[in-house]
Amino acid sequence: MRTPPRLLARTLTVTFATVAVILTIAFIVITLDVRDRVRAAETDKLRVSESVFTALEAKRQQDQMAAMATLAENPTLKAALDTYFTERRFSGSSDEQLRATVTGEASKLAAQTPADVLAVIEADGRIFTSAGPSASQWVSGETVDIPRGAPATFQSVAVLPTGAFRVTGARLTFGERVIGTLVAGTSLDANYAQELSNLSTAGVIITVNTSVVARTVPESVARDLVASKLTAGTATLGDEEYAIRTILASGPARIYTLTSIDAAARNATRDALVAVGLIALGSFILAAIGSFILARLVSEPINRVSSEIATMTGAREFGRTLALTGSSRELDALTVAFNDLMRGLSAAEAETRSAYIGAIRALAAALDARDPYTAGHSERVSTLSVMMGRMMNLDSKGLDVLRLGALLHDIGKIGVADEILRKNGPLTAEEYEQIKRHPALGARILRQVPFLAPHLPIVELHHERPDGRGYPFGLRADAIPLDARIVHVADAFDAMTSARAYRAALPVSVAFAELERFSGTQFDPACVEALLAAMPSSHDIEEPALAQLLARQMV
Amino acid sequence: MIFSARNTVLFAVAVAGLAVMIDTEPSAQQPGSVRGRVSIGIPITAKRGTSTYSRSVPTVALAPESEVRHVVVYVKDAPRTAAPPMRAEIRQRNENFVPRIVAVTVGSTVDFPNDDPIYHNVFSLSRTKTFDLGRFPQGRSRGERFDKPGVVKVFCQIHSHMSATVMVFDHPWFAIPDEGGMFELSGVPPGMHQVTAFHERLGDTTQQIRVEGGRAASVDFVLPVPAQP
Repeated sequence: MRTPPRLLARTLTVTFATVAVILTIAFIVITLDVRDRVRAAETDKLRVSESVFTALEAKRQQDQMAAMATLAENPTLKAALDTYFTERRFSGSSDEQLRATVTGEASKLAAQTPADVLAVIEADGRIFTSAGPSASQWVSGETVDIPRGAPATFQSVAVLPTGAFRVTGARLTFGERVIGTLVAGTSLDANYAQELSNLSTAGVIITVNTSVVARTVPESVARDLVASKLTAGTATLGDEEYAIRTILASGPARIYTLTSIDAAARNATRDALVAVGLIALGSFILAAIGSFILARLVSEPINRVSSEIATMTGAREFGRTLALTGSSRELDALTVAFNDLMRGLSAAEAETRSAYIGAIRALAAALDARDPYTAGHSERVSTLSVMMGRMMNLDSKGLDVLRLGALLHDIGKIGVADEILRKNGPLTAEEYEQIKRHPALGARILRQVPFLAPHLPIVELHHERPDGRGYPFGLRADAIPLDARIVHVADAFDAMTSARAYRAALPVSVAFAELERFSGTQFDPACVEALLAAMPSSHDIEEPALAQLLARQMV
Repeated sequence: MIFSARNTVLFAVAVAGLAVMIDTEPSAQQPGSVRGRVSIGIPITAKRGTSTYSRSVPTVALAPESEVRHVVVYVKDAPRTAAPPMRAEIRQRNENFVPRIVAVTVGSTVDFPNDDPIYHNVFSLSRTKTFDLGRFPQGRSRGERFDKPGVVKVFCQIHSHMSATVMVFDHPWFAIPDEGGMFELSGVPPGMHQVTAFHERLGDTTQQIRVEGGRAASVDFVLPVPAQP
């Protein structure tokens, strides 16, 4: 059969499992909630940052326009340009030195702006001259489509065969007279897309005539955006959801900024989930500790009681009562019930014991009664032995052993024939040998009853002598148990002070003298002393019946 | 201002000289004159209402009358003819050149007095005459003499919105219309001539006319102005 699980394990399992289930459900709910919240928050954040960027970008463009308006006031450039056109109109021929002057001024201005190109456009829209890194794409004489007329500064997109440019322009005027336009162009290329992307911390897509000319996001995203025709809002592009904003819609050109909501939410969600996870882990640990303490609270007193019971059982201290643990009413009730049970058992055992003792006493009395001279002998020896035992400071347990052992000491005589026991005359050697067999015989009978095992040495060895001349083993002094030595002295004393068919009872004083005479050889000196001490006033007791009465009272 | 009484006298001298010259030619005839009126026309880019329901056609803002004073009418294909030098002036007033345009004969000097309480500068990058009069304060004037015919654009280095035009002719047949736009070129040799009305902003218009001796040929110019913003 399988051993059942420990209470600790079982309590722990149940408690912890319950808490774990609750925590897990809470964790799942919180996780789902956190996901939604983080996503909403991130979307808002992206919208805000995009509007901020759009506002900043608008400001930047305004600043650029202001800067261009300032550049367009360059007197030398204006003078050279106006002179050039006026002369050409008046005389039909043009002074190329003036064009070079304009180009020179334009180059100086180009160096002051971050633009890719700085160009001077004639009033009819043709390029007069250009300077800057991308000047080669702005060929003199080519027509560029830029806004005409008002306002004085403008922004637009110029599409050249070689590429598209975001342009900021300012009119070159003398009062109301417009002589041309100064434009700064930024190539709508990967560099510009990257620059915008860095400024906006968002992805950038630039399209001209719905074809993507530059992008900082994956191609599939750009393709989906163009296909969606969206200008603002959120849309799923590629595999992720994006917040989209158009920061430029001029002519055929569009510039979009877009940020992946998923990517933004991913990090924030991860952070939030890590926090929630840590809380959950902490809760799990606390739950485990709590469960363990609870389980210990339940099982520990039980363990204590059970180990106490085990100790009691080991020491055979069935009379002891278990202390109440005070840990729980149930356990205390159990302890009380156990104590009651043990008391009941002890009482029952005591009853059984006294019944046994009664039976044994009756048996011993019956044996004594076979011979009228030995009637009451066992009772008297028992009484004397207990008296001596008390003198020798034996404990109550030892006295119990002594009392019963002395009562039973001659039980082996049950196997000795009546003729021998009752014989008036001296015994033959053979008869004496028969008599000498009674201790071994008694021991053999007693071995059948385990309950009487403690008394066995008394029965078996009460005829051993300190000088080793006793029977049945001829043990010497200390090898003989104390019980047996006591009973030996008591037996001899009672035998001497009792009448026999062949002699009268010896007086107590004679018996004492005999005992003292053979003390150390036949009798144990300590036992003899104990007997003398136990009966200080019994020197005058002549009558064995009186002694018997005395002994009875003392039991 | 340009055709002052003194100038009229000079003109008479010039016409006399011219008569002598013409007399020497085989087909010598009496000189004629060209008269006419310059007007600023309806803006060419003016919007006109196209909607049936629109009763309010935007009224076209006509250019200020004085704009005709910024026109120079001259005989474009005139032979080189000596004419006495003149003295003209372009003042710098309220951060503007006033007048915005002057026409002078070769050898004339144009003065640039500064009326403003700030510094001004006068310079030119024109092929006809490149100069820089430097910066000078209120009350001071600097002059420049023009010895070659042609057009000279004049600017101020300090104030980039200021500009003026000096037209230098090697003949006397040029005029700036009066406030009403009327002009007259007198002493013009008879024959077919190209007469041009030149406006610094609005462009120029050239017309072919026949000048007959002792008679005044009539020609009118209409210059368009761009729509007002």
